[in-house]
Amino acid sequence: MRVSSSTFPDNFLYQDNLLQAEQNALQQQATTGLKFALPEDNPAGMSQVLNLQASSSANQQYRTNISDLQGQASSVSGLLTSLQAIVSQAGEIVTSADGTATPTEMTTYATQVGNLIQQALQLGNSKDSQGNYIFGGTATGSPPFTATTDSNGNVTGVTYNGNSTVNQVEISPGVTVSAQVPGANTSGTGPGGLFINSATGADLFNHLISLRQDIASDNTAAISTTDTQNISKDETNVLGQVSSNGVLLSQLQAAGNLASQQGNNMTTQISGKTDADLATTITHLQQTETAYEAALESSTRVMQISLVDFLT
Amino acid sequence: MMSLFNILNLGAGSLDAETQATSVTGENLSNVNNPAYARQRVDFTASTPLNTPVGQEGTGVTVTAIQQIRDALLDTQIQSEAGVTGSLNAQQTALQNAEAALAEQITNTSTSGSNSSPNGLAADLSSLFNSLQSLSTSPQDISLRQGVIGAAQQVAAQFNQDASSLSSLTTTINSSIDSDVSGANQDLSQIAALNAQIVQAQAIGGTANDLIDQREQVMEDLASKVNFTTSNVGNGAVDVTIGGVQMVNNITQTDSLATGFEPTTGRYLVKAQNAGTFLSLAGGSIEGDITVRDGALAQLQTSLDSLASQVTGSFNSIYSAGFDLHGNTGQNFFNGVTAASISVNSSLVADPTTFHASGTAGATGGNSVVVALAQLANTPNANLGGLTISGNYAQTVANLGNALSSVNVQVANNGAMTQMLTNQRQSVSGVNIDEEMTNLMQFQKAYEASAELITTINEMLQTVVNMKTT
Repeated sequence: MRVSSSTFPDNFLYQDNLLQAEQNALQQQATTGLKFALPEDNPAGMSQVLNLQASSSANQQYRTNISDLQGQASSVSGLLTSLQAIVSQAGEIVTSADGTATPTEMTTYATQVGNLIQQALQLGNSKDSQGNYIFGGTATGSPPFTATTDSNGNVTGVTYNGNSTVNQVEISPGVTVSAQVPGANTSGTGPGGLFINSATGADLFNHLISLRQDIASDNTAAISTTDTQNISKDETNVLGQVSSNGVLLSQLQAAGNLASQQGNNMTTQISGKTDADLATTITHLQQTETAYEAALESSTRVMQISLVDFLT
Repeated sequence: MMSLFNILNLGAGSLDAETQATSVTGENLSNVNNPAYARQRVDFTASTPLNTPVGQEGTGVTVTAIQQIRDALLDTQIQSEAGVTGSLNAQQTALQNAEAALAEQITNTSTSGSNSSPNGLAADLSSLFNSLQSLSTSPQDISLRQGVIGAAQQVAAQFNQDASSLSSLTTTINSSIDSDVSGANQDLSQIAALNAQIVQAQAIGGTANDLIDQREQVMEDLASKVNFTTSNVGNGAVDVTIGGVQMVNNITQTDSLATGFEPTTGRYLVKAQNAGTFLSLAGGSIEGDITVRDGALAQLQTSLDSLASQVTGSFNSIYSAGFDLHGNTGQNFFNGVTAASISVNSSLVADPTTFHASGTAGATGGNSVVVALAQLANTPNANLGGLTISGNYAQTVANLGNALSSVNVQVANNGAMTQMLTNQRQSVSGVNIDEEMTNLMQFQKAYEASAELITTINEMLQTVVNMKTT
C-alpha cells in the first residue's frame, strides 16, 4: 500500500491517543483503588452496588434500632424489679395478716398496703427520658393511672387511662419486636398488661385496695382466701413479665450479633465488586507505559527522516 | 522536415512542459500538510506530429491535463463515516452530561466505611428510610421528626435537581441542534457557490482541482452534521438532497434547514425552510442529538418522574391515614407527582408536631405509620416493575450506564474505522515527500536537457547565419 507523508503522524497520533487513554484509566484505578466508579464503566455492577449500599445502610440502622430497644428494655427491666419487690411485700403481708396478728400489727399492715398502693401508682406513672409515660401503651398524652381517694386520703379506686397497644420496631427486614409493656390489658388477647391482665387474672391496684380494706375491717377469712389468691395472681403476672423481658433482651442480643455479621458480609461483598486488585492494576500500568515509550521512541525516529535530508 | 526554428520551438515547448510539471510538484509539496488536498500530477502527451515523406516527425511534448488523484468511492465512504462519527459523538456527550447530573459515583472515602456512591438520590433515599427507622423507636421526639423531614426534603431536592439538570441538558441539546443547522446552512451555501465556480472554471477546460478539494472538505463538514445524498449534474456541479428535499440544485441553493416544533408530537425537529416538511435524518450530529434527546434522555426523565410519583403516592396513602400529636389526620407527606415538582408538605416542615406518626386516633405515642413508611423500603411496587423504590432507581441508573457504555464501544469502533478509511485515502491521494522530491529531480534533469538542446540549436543557427558572412 502506498504511504503518504501524513500517514505516519496520523497513525502515530491515533495509537498515542489510545495508549494515553488506557494509561489514564489504569492510573485512575491505581489512585482510587476502585475497579470502576461510574455507571458507564460497569452498569450491572453499579446497580448491584447501589442495592448493596442500600442494604448495608439499612443494616447499620437496624443495629441502631436494636441498641435503642435494648436501652428501652433495660429501663423496663429496672422498673419490673421494683414492682416485683412491691408485689412480694404484699405477698408477705397477706400471709402475716392472719388471725394471729395483733390489732396494732393489723393497723400497721393496713398502712403498709396503703404505701404499696402509692408506690405502685408512682411506678405505673413512670416517664422515660423524653418525658413520655412508659406504661400507658400508645396513649401517652396523660398519666396512665389516676386514683380516686376518700376523705381520709386512702385510695379507693384506680382508673387506667392508657390502651393496650404497643409500638413495634423493625430489627431486620420484616421482623418487628416491641420493648413496651402496657399498664393494663382487659381484652384477653395481645400483649399482657403489667398491673391489670385479664388473661392471667392480675388486677394489682384493686387487689391491694381490697386487701387494705379487708385488713382494716379485720376480715381474716377474706384475707386468707380471696386476697391470698389474688396477690398470688399478681405475683405470677409480674414474674411472667420479668421472664418476657429477659427473653426480649436475649432476642435483641442475638439479633444484634446477626446484624453485625450480615453487615460485615455486605461490606465484603461490596469490596469484592469494587476494589481494584492493585498488583494487577500496577502490572498493567507498567506494561502500558512500556508500550507508550516504545511507540514514542520508534515514531520519532521514523518521522524525522525523508529524502530531503539526503539530497545535497 | 522540421527547420531549426521549429526545433527551437520544440525545445521551448519542452521547457514549458517541465516548468509546469515542476510547478505542480511545488503545489504538491506546499500542500503536504493540507488534509483536504488530493495530490495532482501532469499528463504529458506528445504534441501533434508532422507528416513527412520519411515518416511522422514528433514536435515535442505538451501538458494536456493537470489531474488530481482522488477515489470518489472512498470520499463517499468517508462522508458516510463522518455522519456516524458526528451522531455518536453527539450522543456520547449528551449521555455523559446526564450521567454527571445524576452524580452516582463510587468512592471509597464515604463515612459508611465501605465503598459507596454517597452523593446521588440512592444515598438520599437510604437516609430517608433510616431516619424513619430512628423515629419509630421514639415517635414523639421532635428532633427525630425534624430528622425525617430534613431527609425527605433532601430527597425532594435531589429529584428537583435531577429534573432541572435534565431539562437544561435538553435546552443545551436544542441549542446545539440550532447551531449545527446554522453551520449546515452555511455549508450548503458554500457548496452552491463552489459549484458555480467549478462550472465556470471547467467550462474553460480541465478540472478545477483545488475547488473540488475545497468542496469535498465542505461536504465532509456537512456530513458530520447531517446526512445527505448527492448526484453529479455532469458539468462539474453536485446536487445535494437532505431527507428527500433538494437543497442544492446545480449552481443554486434551493432550500435550507430550519428548526421547529413538530405539531403532532411536539418534538423539536429539523425541517426544510421552503418546503416546510419535517425531515427524518439518518446520520450526523443533528440526528445524534435528536436520537439521544428523544430516546435515552426522555426515558431517563420518564423513569425519574414515575419514581417521584410512586414515592409521593405510596408515602401519602400510608401517611394520610395517620394521626399527629393534636389528633389531626388526612394531610399529605409529599406534594407533587413529577421529579421537578415533588416537595415535602410545607405545613409539616413548619410544624413537626403535625407529623402523622400514630395509626390510631387518641394514641399520641403510637408509631405504626412510621414503621409502615419505613417498611416501604422493602416493599415491591407493581408500578415500578415489581421493584422497590431504591431497586427501581438502581435499575434506572444501570439503564443510563448501559446506553452510555454501548455508545462508548461504538465510538471506539467508529474511531478505528475512520482511521482505516483515512489511511486508505491518504494512500491514494496523499502527498509523499520522497516521491515529489524524486519527481522534482526528474523534471529538473529534463529541463537541463531541453535547455542544452536550445543552446545547441542556437549554436547551429549561429553557424548558419555565419555562413553568409565571409
